[in-house]
Amino acid sequence: MAVPLYTIFLKHRILPGRVTIGKYDGSHSCITAATSGDRVLIHSPHLKEREVSMLNVNQGVTAICAGKLNPTDDKEVLLIGTQSTVLAYHVENNTDLFYKEVSDGANVIVIGKVGTSTTPLAIVGGNCSIQGFDWQGNDPYWTVTGDNVRALALLDTDRDGQNELVVGSDDFDVRIFKEDALVHETSETEAITALVALKDNKFAYSLANGTIGVYDRMSRAWRVKSKNAPVCLAAFDIDGDGIPELVTGWSNGKVDARNIKTGDVVFHDILSHGIAGIVVGDYTMSGKPQLIVCSTHGEIRGYDTTSTVKDTVQHGDIVRELFAKKQALLAELKNYTADPTGTGIPANTRLLTDIQVSPGSKLFPGGHVIVQLNVNNMTVIRSATVFAEGIFQGETYVVHPRIDQVSDSLSIPLKPPKDTPLDIHIRAFVGTTASKTQFHVFEVTRQLPRFSMYDNASPSHKQIPDSFVTFKMNEPPSRLEQWQGQNFLVSPAAEREGSSRAAWILNLVSVRDKSPLLLKLEGSVMTVATPHMSVAADVIQSLANFFNLSSLQSLAEFPAIFSSLKDQLSKIEELQQNSAKITATIADTANLIRGLIVQAEDSRLLMVMKDLRECYSQLQQVNSELMRSYALRNANHNEILTTLRNINNIIQHAARLRVGREKNEIAQQCRLAVANNNVNALIKIIKTGEV
Amino acid sequence: MSIALELARVDYALLGLSANNCMKLLPHSPLKGVQKIVFGGSDGVLQVFSIKKGEMQVTFKTLPGEPITCLELGGVTGGVKDRIFVSSKNEVRGYNKKGKQFLGFDTNLTEPIKSMHVSGSDLLVTGSHVFNHYKDCKDVNSYLSSDAINHVISLNFEKTHRLTAVLACCDRVLRVLERGTLAQTIPLPSVPVALGWLNNNGGSSGDNVVYALQNGQIGLVQITRTTYVWKWVIENPKNRDAVRCMYWYDLLKDGNKELIVGRDDGSIQVYSEPLERLKDTDPLIEIYNYVCNESVTSIQAGNLGNPAFDEIIATTYTGWLFGLTTEVLEKQVSLDTIRNVGVSIKFSPEEKMKIDRLRAEIEDIERTVVKMRERYQMTTQEDSIGISTIPELSISDKLTLLKEDSIFQLTIEAETAIDNVLLHSDVAIKLIDVEKNSAVVSHSACDPQSDNKLLATYRCQVNTSKLNILMQYGREAGTLNVYTTPHAQPKATHLRSYQIRQLAFHTRTHDFDETRPCNILSLKGGFSFAEMHYWISHCLPEIPEKMPTTDEAVYNFESTFIGSILQCKYRKGEAEFKSDDVSSISVLKDFLTKEATMKKIQLSIAFVLSDESMYSTLERLYPKLEKAMQLQKQTRLLEALKDIEMGENETGVTFIPECRTVVEKQNEIQAYMNKQWLNISRIQDVVTTLFIDWYRFKNINARTKLGNLREALQQNCSFQELFDFFDTSALAGSVEA
Repeated sequence: MAVPLYTIFLKHRILPGRVTIGKYDGSHSCITAATSGDRVLIHSPHLKEREVSMLNVNQGVTAICAGKLNPTDDKEVLLIGTQSTVLAYHVENNTDLFYKEVSDGANVIVIGKVGTSTTPLAIVGGNCSIQGFDWQGNDPYWTVTGDNVRALALLDTDRDGQNELVVGSDDFDVRIFKEDALVHETSETEAITALVALKDNKFAYSLANGTIGVYDRMSRAWRVKSKNAPVCLAAFDIDGDGIPELVTGWSNGKVDARNIKTGDVVFHDILSHGIAGIVVGDYTMSGKPQLIVCSTHGEIRGYDTTSTVKDTVQHGDIVRELFAKKQALLAELKNYTADPTGTGIPANTRLLTDIQVSPGSKLFPGGHVIVQLNVNNMTVIRSATVFAEGIFQGETYVVHPRIDQVSDSLSIPLKPPKDTPLDIHIRAFVGTTASKTQFHVFEVTRQLPRFSMYDNASPSHKQIPDSFVTFKMNEPPSRLEQWQGQNFLVSPAAEREGSSRAAWILNLVSVRDKSPLLLKLEGSVMTVATPHMSVAADVIQSLANFFNLSSLQSLAEFPAIFSSLKDQLSKIEELQQNSAKITATIADTANLIRGLIVQAEDSRLLMVMKDLRECYSQLQQVNSELMRSYALRNANHNEILTTLRNINNIIQHAARLRVGREKNEIAQQCRLAVANNNVNALIKIIKTGEV
Repeated sequence: MSIALELARVDYALLGLSANNCMKLLPHSPLKGVQKIVFGGSDGVLQVFSIKKGEMQVTFKTLPGEPITCLELGGVTGGVKDRIFVSSKNEVRGYNKKGKQFLGFDTNLTEPIKSMHVSGSDLLVTGSHVFNHYKDCKDVNSYLSSDAINHVISLNFEKTHRLTAVLACCDRVLRVLERGTLAQTIPLPSVPVALGWLNNNGGSSGDNVVYALQNGQIGLVQITRTTYVWKWVIENPKNRDAVRCMYWYDLLKDGNKELIVGRDDGSIQVYSEPLERLKDTDPLIEIYNYVCNESVTSIQAGNLGNPAFDEIIATTYTGWLFGLTTEVLEKQVSLDTIRNVGVSIKFSPEEKMKIDRLRAEIEDIERTVVKMRERYQMTTQEDSIGISTIPELSISDKLTLLKEDSIFQLTIEAETAIDNVLLHSDVAIKLIDVEKNSAVVSHSACDPQSDNKLLATYRCQVNTSKLNILMQYGREAGTLNVYTTPHAQPKATHLRSYQIRQLAFHTRTHDFDETRPCNILSLKGGFSFAEMHYWISHCLPEIPEKMPTTDEAVYNFESTFIGSILQCKYRKGEAEFKSDDVSSISVLKDFLTKEATMKKIQLSIAFVLSDESMYSTLERLYPKLEKAMQLQKQTRLLEALKDIEMGENETGVTFIPECRTVVEKQNEIQAYMNKQWLNISRIQDVVTTLFIDWYRFKNINARTKLGNLREALQQNCSFQELFDFFDTSALAGSVEA
């Protein structure tokens, strides 16, 4: 347990994840948080008269961040993001620096320098896109990413002295951007909810499933999973060893600080309500910053290095730990001293696993990967549990057949939703008969290759898709077979018909949706034919990775996608017009309501009950009309969001059809084309990678 | 009580598994200040040892054998109680404090000894149902209880001069026996699990018995020659588990002994006399609470580590022996100098030695383990012919009904750390999150072809040896399978199965309210008494395993959720069930006809329906429904009101009284809504089932009305409206018919 330096109660609810701290007058820290009722609370403890001031935003606050945006002004600026706008507000002067519409929304905002830029930018993560604004409201930075951006962090991951932008999104991916170019991406097991920069080029992340962990450059140093959800992350040196710890605020009110190297908990405390935010700032004017934790119910606690209780009795814990170790060892020892009364299984029992791809069977409909477990003797497999992350609802999938169906083999159908390599841990219960009360546990770990959901296409089904990508590739077929062996479940030898030394062909079908995937190497021209741009992009990225390609330009032909892109762009225009119309209607109706209320009140004072009744019945009518308009606007807005996301996704996939320099240029150029509403230019860029 | 106890935990040793109450402190010997511990383990080893400088010094140790089930201290009447009696299987052995065996006595009982009490030369033992009294190892008398016996004790012979045995029985009574015949039956609100003497001696009259109940309550009753007098009861407001062991000791040094108890949930409490005792019924007051993570199996108090300081000594399920001492330990560590006792104790080096010794010991074991591990690996090679067997893991597990919330609690406690637990069931079970339980739960999809309705895994955090899971289920019958896998290598999983009964929400009661209007179901047919008993035990909880000794069995129940009552009365060829809840009757009827058909037994069924019973059941249900509906409405309101409340200061909005109450009581409402198992849909389900069952018995097709009822339940329907569904539609239906 820890002793807080101070505890403050604000009588306001604080929305989780939307807490920041800023020095708006250049010297005093003020906690700033989004509260219910679409408002932002600024707590200024140094102002005796009005400690708490409120800002009305009139739109749900989705992100909040304070920082120094204008390099010539030492007063910090508050940025407030909503579903469709970003506001930069100068608190001290009570003026807006800028107010910008962002159609992709603002899910998260950070302030800092990116790459070589000399002025700080406010980087806004939205729906698949990332935008950077300077203090004048210009947006010199723009790029696209896979899904809704949930978390951003600025830090130098590769020790070149410049900040990279780390982006966590809903599609489980962590991406690192250098300037506006994607330099690295890695898949996590759930949607990323928070990111924070740590010391020594490390950063920490948290996931929606309760995991927190630390990346050292691009490899994961450690991670832990809890049943509660992490709400926010912060870096603060609570134990005074000079290295900041990773501080996590949890949904159940727990706060803990972990050593960034090992993940060991060095500090923890529990608040009575869920944590809304953790910030680091000086609230005591002592000159040193404190760790400040805010709960959803407005409780604020501050901690520093003196808060940890150091002189607890250590030896008691050591003794207990040693005893526990002894206990575990004794238990193991007991397990080896065979029990003559028990009936065991033959000691040489083996659990054999076989992984295959299946287009679907009567027992397990739908295409899937099947993991077949077998034992090598008379024993039976009672049940099997598969641990893997990101492919089931929870973290496990259990197969527990009916007692009369228990046999020496067990099939586990798996459906990986994405083309990523997966580690699966299988735990099987093996016993002599199904009705035993004790089973041996066999644990095995297998890896599913990246493209495990692809099967050999049946000869009759060999259609050549009209969508494809071609590019130059100077690798011999044997090397491609090697790549195939690592990334596919179907073996290279299976499909060798008509392929000579110079040509290599792989004719596959996705068991997810029966769409074909044709990989062909003729001379030095590689063709990847598939109706899905994302699949082609995955294949190209995997090839580039395997063969260490530093740059690759390709020619893409996706007629279906191009025509849908046209539709989407025209649809957006239409939707935006609709939106303007509906907004006007709503404003009119709202005026009408105001008028009616005044009229009704007048009638009440004049005691003209008939008019009053009429007014109110009209009011009800107008009100329901208003509600309808709101529903319409809501639906319209959601449609805009999905359409925008689709467009952004296509651009992102188009970028991923290329490698290196070619890849990086595409996003910028596509954006220009979209801004100019030039569909043909956009399609040309996607096709050729050039303007 | 202003005096607060401050106790510090000291870990002494890891003794291994033991049965409850198998650790005792031997009386002070005149010369030495510290006491010795006697411990009987599940490995059959009885040992006496003392703690010197934090180290165990064994006086004697017997060879391993059958598990020791009970350990009692005895002695000649009026003398020092330093003779040790242990029981294992059906044998009782006696040792003196030096380890010399003076008694070896085979009781020839068919049941293994479950509980034992020694008083002078009298020995009382019980199996699961049989009670036997021996005097100087000669059988004096015996008694067969109709339900399982949990614990036996006698009144203090030295004070009462009569040997009266008290049995704590599973059918919620204390049975008082005089010379082997039943003298009194004392009804209790819950199943008694442990008995003890007031002040360790039965009080001044020697006939005061402390009882601990399954529901966590502790009470005192005085048992006189002809009757019994209720004294205090310590309620259980914090919903702790049942007390397994108790001891009286004057920890406060105020001349009065305090009651120290250890519970299944791992908590230890000290209760003291109220400051001013006005009545005998004034309960004791809790003055200290300590929580360790494992269930407490034995508790004692005395001087163990240091003669100058009293301490509570406890053992836990996995075999920890620890003390809660009045000595201030923190200071010793920091000061590291002479204590005020006058004896120079350098604490830190001593602790260091202890740690070093432990480390050395662990290294030793590690080496053996490595050797054994290699040997085991050898046997698992391809060509080996060996058999790999793994000893059965000791798991203490239970599935209990928490009456207040009408939910079930599954407790699993293993002797070593648990890695993971897999739950499987063929009935739909809703698992409820417990804050205390840190394990990561994951629900797996169920393949419909395998009849699975629940597959969930709990992955435990390190060093978890105990897991609590709350669950809720409906009116389906089935099984719950729990696979517990401990960390220890080679890994094995252990299966425990629980029967899920259809009328699981019922609990036994002593009385049946005859004034309540009831529906009656009577069955006649060619079934035997035993068959009916077996069937009933598969449908209702708390039915004794053994057949009743009488010709006719009568069991009364109460539903914890809706408060309805049920009486089962049956004999050979005849059975009658009375309940004010039609649904219970319906379940019984369906279940029994199904069972009888399977055995090809013809049943003639008759039932009497009471319209008043429906009225009274609805009357009892409605307040719950009303409250749930109100809360649901309030929760919806609250969300909106919270927003307005924020702006209240500025705009000067004032709420109407209803809204104001909602805002004021928001914490209360929130807390209630967090109890997901009390949600409205559960009560709605009960009402709908009642409706369906009622019309099924009436033989009226009311399906059309069912939709209307569901709709009405969604809105705030009044009692009369609700009742009309059960009334008018009956009339309408009968007219049609």
